[in-house]
Amino acid sequence: MADTIEQTHLRERNALDVPWVTLVLNDPVNLMSYVSYVFRSYFGYPAAEAERLMLQVHLTGRAVVATGTREEMERHVEAMHDYGLWATMGKADE
Amino acid sequence: MKAFTPHNDGYITAQVDRDEALLVQNLASQVSVLLREGNASDPAILRMLPDAYPDDHASSAEFRRYTASGLIDRKVSNADIVIMTLSDAIETGEVRLDPHQAGAWLRSLTDIRLSLATRLGIETDDDEPQQDSVLQELYDWLGYLQNSLVEAVDEGVTGE
Repeated sequence: MADTIEQTHLRERNALDVPWVTLVLNDPVNLMSYVSYVFRSYFGYPAAEAERLMLQVHLTGRAVVATGTREEMERHVEAMHDYGLWATMGKADE
Repeated sequence: MKAFTPHNDGYITAQVDRDEALLVQNLASQVSVLLREGNASDPAILRMLPDAYPDDHASSAEFRRYTASGLIDRKVSNADIVIMTLSDAIETGEVRLDPHQAGAWLRSLTDIRLSLATRLGIETDDDEPQQDSVLQELYDWLGYLQNSLVEAVDEGVTGE
């Protein structure tokens, strides 16, 4: 029993060690004003941070907009697809 | 169609003539039909429901299995709101949106523009606009409309 609990703890800690990220990728369709609007209205980012992330997407091709568990990131990616943004997810160390 | 204007009562309005209203209704309806009945491998559908895991086909397929029908329902519902509010606008000459309807419009205009972009071959920032193309003019006009709606929503929120 003690082994099982310990293993569970180990598994949880490993899962937390490498978090997942939500990435928004640049695309030629979505307007800069709209991408900022999505980052503010969905994630609740302050205007300046939303603008910084939007510019990072636009200029470098992508930005990490959220970090957390796989389930949380799947929810965020689905929400981004709802808005029509090009979003993907992956491990933070990839 | 003129730019969208925010009002103190929380509504956003724009003047719209009958032909423009019918045109946008038609586009919203086409996107709905495409989402409900189109081939899953259609580039426009793949752009509206992209792979969640770029290097993992199996996980992307599983993600799609869990999320696609809900996403399609919501996208169709957004398009329905565009169509309904424009039916009212054909009577009054003015499209009038509450905050929820404005959000649906922003999403639906995105879906329409994503679909048009795949038909126009717009895939990167460097793709040149097609000259003398009616579809390109339509795409640009919808971009103008959407930007004006984002600005109206922002002004309404910040009270500027």
